[in-house]
Amino acid sequence: MDAGYYISGAGHLGLIGWLLFGGVFRPDPPPFETQEVSIISGAEFDAILAAQRAPDQATDVAQPTAPEITPDAPEVAAAPDEMIEQPQPVQTETPPPDPAPEEVQETPPAEAEVTDAAPITPEPPSDVAVLAPEVAPTPVPREAPRVAPEPVAQPDPEATPDPVEQEAVTPDAEGETSTQEPQEATAPEEATTEIVTEATEAPRAAPNQSPRPPSRRPEAPAPQVAETPSENANDTDAAAIAAAVAAAQSSAPDAPSAPSGPPLSAGEKESLRVAVSSCWNVGSLSSDALQTTVIVTVSMNQDGTPIVGTIQLASSSGGSDAAARQAFEAARRAIIRCGAKGYQLPADKFGQWQNIEMTFNPERMRVK
Amino acid sequence: MSIRLLIMGLALACVAIMGGPNAAQAQQGPLRIEITEGVIEPLPFAVPSFQPESGAAGQMAVDLARVVSEDLTGTGLFREIPASAFISTVSDFNAPIQYADWKAINAQALVTGAVNVSGNSLNVKFRLYDVFSGAELGSGLQFSGTVDGWRRMAHKVADAVYSRITGEGGYFDSRVVYVSETGPKDNRSKRLAIMDYDGANVQYLTDSSSIVLAPRFSPTGDRVLYTSYESGFPRIYVLDIGSVSRRVLESAEGTMSFAPRFSPSGETVVYSLAQGGNTDIYTMDIGSGQSVRLTNTPSIETAPSFSPDGSRIVFESDRSGTQQLYIMPVTGGEATRISFGSGRYGTPVWSPRGDLVAFTKQNAGRFHIGVMRLDGSEERLLTASFLDEGPTWAPNGRVIMFARETQGAGGSSSLFSVDISGRNLKKVPTPEGGSDPSWSPLQK
Repeated sequence: MDAGYYISGAGHLGLIGWLLFGGVFRPDPPPFETQEVSIISGAEFDAILAAQRAPDQATDVAQPTAPEITPDAPEVAAAPDEMIEQPQPVQTETPPPDPAPEEVQETPPAEAEVTDAAPITPEPPSDVAVLAPEVAPTPVPREAPRVAPEPVAQPDPEATPDPVEQEAVTPDAEGETSTQEPQEATAPEEATTEIVTEATEAPRAAPNQSPRPPSRRPEAPAPQVAETPSENANDTDAAAIAAAVAAAQSSAPDAPSAPSGPPLSAGEKESLRVAVSSCWNVGSLSSDALQTTVIVTVSMNQDGTPIVGTIQLASSSGGSDAAARQAFEAARRAIIRCGAKGYQLPADKFGQWQNIEMTFNPERMRVK
Repeated sequence: MSIRLLIMGLALACVAIMGGPNAAQAQQGPLRIEITEGVIEPLPFAVPSFQPESGAAGQMAVDLARVVSEDLTGTGLFREIPASAFISTVSDFNAPIQYADWKAINAQALVTGAVNVSGNSLNVKFRLYDVFSGAELGSGLQFSGTVDGWRRMAHKVADAVYSRITGEGGYFDSRVVYVSETGPKDNRSKRLAIMDYDGANVQYLTDSSSIVLAPRFSPTGDRVLYTSYESGFPRIYVLDIGSVSRRVLESAEGTMSFAPRFSPSGETVVYSLAQGGNTDIYTMDIGSGQSVRLTNTPSIETAPSFSPDGSRIVFESDRSGTQQLYIMPVTGGEATRISFGSGRYGTPVWSPRGDLVAFTKQNAGRFHIGVMRLDGSEERLLTASFLDEGPTWAPNGRVIMFARETQGAGGSSSLFSVDISGRNLKKVPTPEGGSDPSWSPLQK
């Protein structure tokens, strides 16, 4: 029974509370327009009305041009009156120009609209650049550089050689090729040129892959640094610190006998890559060999030529041993051929490229 | 203790920071580069005239070198350097090679040979050199035969050179059987002919008294299956090439049998048989004549071809409403459709390598010879013309020969070959028109 009272009481309290404070929780009222209203007195209202009637009175006030009544000095005033009358007919009575616009409307449809556009463009050069770019910025720059420079430069030197080239073409088109039209159906010939073209492209600025991080040699002697901890020989912890420092230092500066130098830049490595690529001919490889990736190592002379006897197959993947052998031979031919006159490598970094490991991956050259 | 460990850690950190740049600059191990783009172009080679080691071998030495050179050049993978560009000559088969002279003319491969003729006996030997490596590629080889077969000797030398450079088998010492055609389209006479792969040494196996179709070599190259209308109905015959004798494969009365092919074992024939307006695929044991029906559908199934291992058969069927390619087990049963492109597919032939199927495709009013994987993927159309049909594989699975017919009433049919990459499309010379080629295996 009590529970019923409690519930009823709570409900009523809630209802009363909502009525009293429900507005607090009410969401923001919908937007509505407001206008400010100001209270004015009757005198102010009359003043406003008077202000609205002011023009009538003003005109009336203007009438009392008393000076007209005072003809005391007519002669003096007469002169200025005449002066004033002269300018009035000049401008106000010129309305005759009104018929002029009517004539203008007739002429433009015939010629003015077409000619207006053209004459505007030649104006820019004569006037100032301020008007030209605003009127026609886009059409002018597109047409000018393509048309103007080429025909001016070419006609003189190439006018005579043209017929010579055409004569050379006609004899080629004789007989056999014209009769064997089916050769046009060979799609891959285009593929060949594409691949060659890609290979002969200028070296890209960015490398295809990030350089591999130099591997740290796990073990290296550290004779000199190991002596320093002897100063703190009594302290085993200090000795451990010194040993750790020595080990860390020993991994950084290795002292190879070959002249080292800064590592090859991405552009230098790319140059070498492109040079070898240009001689890597996979056209005569079997499909199995084209599935095989070979890693070839080679030692270089300081003049940039490869030492032929050091070219070795380090490893292969993706094909049989026979296929790997064919792929290796193609890679070896590429290294030797294009390196016959020496690769363009920085001499001061010889230590960096004295030994090279080349991975020949024919995945992109595969016939699919 | 903990303070000391902290000091130790700080010290290591300092060393790492100070030594870091040095470690980054130092070149550890060789310089590594990866090459993923090369060039595809014919490999330049030189074949000086072979050295005659007997008085009668002079012209033979020149001819052998010429055929070897033509074989290699004809693949499209090699480019011959003319003799006029040679700096040095090879005067002795065993003399050391002047590599610098051959490098100077960019000859990447050099083939030298010697010929000895004694009566009707011919002896040919050769060496192959990798010029830029300055070493011999493989060891020298020697072939013996008869003077009459001098072209085969040259083909064998070319096969060996091709194989050593490309890493795959050659196909020069092979033959092609085809239908030789003469006369206009509405009155064309046909007869079986056989020739070397390059069109030389043409011989005729039948006369032109009846229509012959679709000759197919046996796996050993000593027999030919073909279809003849000699009896008024198409029937399958087996022809022994050596003796030019033949026999018919019996079939029931009122039936038509055609499109035969040997199994890889050479003991079974798979063919199409039309009966009561329906065409299905059967196999027949050549020795016993027992036949087995492999398909049993109201649609047309024909042009069967065995896989190299003899376990499956690819064929064409219109069971889906249009002509498509299917693969089924050699015992028959459920077939899997492999062609799904637009147009109609027909005359499938399994590659000797087993990885591709060559086919004829008709689409948008043109015919194509194409290849696809066994699952129908990587479809590649190699040709396009008014009418291309009847592909056949070279023994090494790298080249396809087919027939091309020109348009118009005066049109004729000729044989063409193309690399499976689509390159090197060229006409195969025949004395008359040709169709339905079948490439033999390499001769022994």
